[in-house]
Amino acid sequence: MNWTAVLEFARGPFFKVALLVFIAGMAYRIARIIMLGWKKDRVPPRGSKVEGAAISFLKGILIWPFIPWVKDTFKRNPIIYIAGGLFHLGLFVVLILGTAHMLVWKSLLGFGWATLPLPIVDWLAAVAIVAMIVLFIHRLTNPVMRLISGWPEWLNLLFVFLPMVTGYMMTHHLFFRYEVLFSLHMLSVNVMLIWIPISRISHFVFYFFSKAIHGADFGKRSVSP
Amino acid sequence: MAEDSIYSELKKEGMSRRGFLKFCGLVAGAMSFTMLPPIEGLTDVRGVQSPVKHGTIEMVAKALQTKQRLPVIWMEFQDCAGCTEALTRSKSPTLVDLVLNKITVEYHETLTAAAGFQTEEAKLAAMQKYAGQYILVVEGSVTDLDDGIYCTIGGKSSMELLREAAAGAAAIVATGNCAAFGGLPRAKPNPTGALGVYEVIKDKPVVNIPGCPAIPEVFTSVLAQFLVFGTLPELDALHRPKNFYGTAIHDRCLRRPFYDAGKFALSFDDEGAKKGYCLYKLGCKGPTTYNSCATLKWSGGLSFPIQSGHPCLGCSEPNFWDGGGFYQGQSAPISKPTGTVAAAAVAAGVAIAAGVGMANVAQKKAAHSADKEEEE
Amino acid sequence: MKTISNIAMNTFVKETGGYVAAQLEACTRCGMCADACHFYVATGNPEYAPVWKIDLLKRAYEQRFTLSGKVKLALGVDKPVTDEDIQKFSKIVYEACTMCNKCSMVCPMGLQLGPLIHEVRTSMSNAGVVPDDLMKAVNKQVEEGSPLGVTDDVYDDRIEWVADEWEVDIPVDVKGADTLVVFSSIEVMKFPENIAAIAKILNTAGEKWTLSTAGREVVNFGFYEGSEERTKMFMQRIFDAAKELGVKKIVVTECGHAYDALRWTSYNMMEVPAGIEITHIVGLIGEYVRSGKIKLKAGAFDNGVITFHDACKIQRRGGHIKEPREILKILAPNSFKEMSPSKEQAICCGGGGGVIAIKEADPVRYAAFELKIDQMKAVGADAVVMSCSNCRLQFTDCVQHFNLDVKVKGLSQMVADALEER
Repeated sequence: MNWTAVLEFARGPFFKVALLVFIAGMAYRIARIIMLGWKKDRVPPRGSKVEGAAISFLKGILIWPFIPWVKDTFKRNPIIYIAGGLFHLGLFVVLILGTAHMLVWKSLLGFGWATLPLPIVDWLAAVAIVAMIVLFIHRLTNPVMRLISGWPEWLNLLFVFLPMVTGYMMTHHLFFRYEVLFSLHMLSVNVMLIWIPISRISHFVFYFFSKAIHGADFGKRSVSP
Repeated sequence: MAEDSIYSELKKEGMSRRGFLKFCGLVAGAMSFTMLPPIEGLTDVRGVQSPVKHGTIEMVAKALQTKQRLPVIWMEFQDCAGCTEALTRSKSPTLVDLVLNKITVEYHETLTAAAGFQTEEAKLAAMQKYAGQYILVVEGSVTDLDDGIYCTIGGKSSMELLREAAAGAAAIVATGNCAAFGGLPRAKPNPTGALGVYEVIKDKPVVNIPGCPAIPEVFTSVLAQFLVFGTLPELDALHRPKNFYGTAIHDRCLRRPFYDAGKFALSFDDEGAKKGYCLYKLGCKGPTTYNSCATLKWSGGLSFPIQSGHPCLGCSEPNFWDGGGFYQGQSAPISKPTGTVAAAAVAAGVAIAAGVGMANVAQKKAAHSADKEEEE
Repeated sequence: MKTISNIAMNTFVKETGGYVAAQLEACTRCGMCADACHFYVATGNPEYAPVWKIDLLKRAYEQRFTLSGKVKLALGVDKPVTDEDIQKFSKIVYEACTMCNKCSMVCPMGLQLGPLIHEVRTSMSNAGVVPDDLMKAVNKQVEEGSPLGVTDDVYDDRIEWVADEWEVDIPVDVKGADTLVVFSSIEVMKFPENIAAIAKILNTAGEKWTLSTAGREVVNFGFYEGSEERTKMFMQRIFDAAKELGVKKIVVTECGHAYDALRWTSYNMMEVPAGIEITHIVGLIGEYVRSGKIKLKAGAFDNGVITFHDACKIQRRGGHIKEPREILKILAPNSFKEMSPSKEQAICCGGGGGVIAIKEADPVRYAAFELKIDQMKAVGADAVVMSCSNCRLQFTDCVQHFNLDVKVKGLSQMVADALEER
């Protein structure tokens, strides 16, 4: 099998198609929700909705991921807080501050930025992979998780796990040749890109909807969200 | 008439026994840059099998003393003669001497003194004389598109000439990316329908020595091995000798520590470039390029592109002309949607959403009216 | 003949707008909300996880509004919602949810799970799959004006008795008053001292207030049930009375759900008479204390350990978090101790949202209260104060059930007891 050709396909036309499916799919989902209509809120507020939303994002992005133990439910289930937090941290650092990924953004957006040294990115990638395995086991063993997990949930895990593992193997030249792993990485990334709009991995977009709703709902009652 | 052995020819030229053994050591070294094909009896005094050893030199000496010169026919098709240039200007004169003089080059368009039909006849004569023994070296890609009119010699198409020469060859060596994988002529849109030799000739062993140009030392090593042992090196899936194409440039690169440390040159004249930082962000293809540039280097081990400040172009890999921009980071996609296409995708998504959304709104209205009817 | 699943699905379709859809899309099914739910934590039953309580809403949304959901349905991966599903979930959303919205404080995506579960209840209510006990109370409120059977006559008798017993003036049906005070029938029937206390406070503050016989019931069992129609009906009675009397302000007394309905829901549901402010008695007392309209004896309750229970609908979803604390710091500066967690993160009493009205929910209700016991024990509370009669009913009942040595107090009552005479 000529992996160079596979790689060319995965980095070339397949990636392009996958990206377009992703863009169109996400546009579809966002537009569909907006089209469902938003009722005007006529309740006289006690506090500021905007302030509530701002605090909601501040806490959600800057505080809870880093000090989850301030939440009282942390002690009941620390695993999901820690593993979930580390997974997202690793994911974002690798995706944004990894050199190879930055160059993808650069080619798509037209501008680049400084990146972190490989060993740091590499460790965080490893942490994210381990965290993901922990989350998988958690989903497998926790009764609530078992109840609410259908096949889409398992596929979510798989389609995110594959790019991460192939990417990690690729940087370390494990088991296969570089272009083989590069191809597998790109193929799995493309599959994931297509899967995102039809799955709940898209939560990174709807997060901004739901967190804003949450913040506004609490803000108008002058309660800290 | 039996021909002289290589050694006796060398002796005739005034080479001493001592000089000959030194020469044998060089040849042995050339073959063994990274590894030697396992051959029984090739052990050193301690009985340990190891790459370059006294025993190897003896082996080479024995072969050169007994074997006759190796006939070579060198065909050029859609090429630039760059591989020939590289070979003739190589800093290893003794080896080149070996290849160009001690191995009989029976036919070579660029180097041969004769011209025209005379040379063609000489070639045919050599092919007949050494049928089944000669090595066919191909430089440049072959083409069969439009009856092969894009590359003809003496009225014959490149494909025809290749098949003709390949029929009597003991082995074929495709030197340079063009002969190996189609190279520059094959770059999109590939107007001549260029092909690599191994895609055409399936019934003879084909060794690819891709590169632009091929590293002369690699080429001579392959020929020396065939000359000495009568064998061809072990090949990878792309028919490249594993001992020279086994590791990626990236893995042997002198700038690799900077890659690992995240230190990159961002332009060709910035501080990073001056400090010799990694060229990955300037489009280096080192990670996916398999060749010996980083270890053998060029011009007698003087330097290689990355060392002298230029990112690797990946010239020993198939389709390297179309593998993304030369100065664009390798992880960047080869093709990406333009702004217009992306906008069209958004529009398509919104259009579907509008359709579904209208159906949804209608559904909600129906639900409301169904409830009202219920009440009435 | 329409099946209950048909009606329920129809309701889901009606309710699903951008607000619901955006939140359902954001759910990652991480299950973190389970640990916030007192019913799940107390029983370990995974079906009590908040995310599972909105499962029907999610399925209805996917099946009716999304392409992928339709494909799933066509492939047989997802099944149509059946009557059995509706019946099964009815037990879960009515008996094991107080709509306290603690889960939304834990949800990493910030889903407003309480309001979403309320949507599920609305469907259940339209389909007529509501627990019998709750439905009986709702019907009683429709017919008699009060779920506890406080008819006009009973009300008048009761108020007269309170006025006599505690020797306070209680104006009833006074036209031209500024403020309409609406009590819950829990207070009328079970905590009459609360009525006396609030009357005393209002009189001391010099408030021109009145009660209304027509708008006498603030409790809204229609809101518990999730029925939009009956929620509106019960609120309309109060608004009509307010218009009739020409008041400028409606004060909700110590009832949480009623406050959520009147203050935070009515405006988006119906026409609220213009120029009328709706507030909670805790907010009003807080205002009096701040402005000096009433003076409290400092340290009046400064013995033992007093803690405050935050009601989900008055504190977390009502916003009156500061007022009770300001008051308690005056009344019990040394003995007031916060439970952990408290304020907007507080744990629910387990009796709200109509749960206490459902006999079958008793085991989970008592189980959930054990979390509250642990919290009280952790601070070594001798007394617990709250500003919601529904919580107070649950506390009183559970203190008896578990035989606890904790006094249960209403905040207004404490304020009334510590009033400095003018």
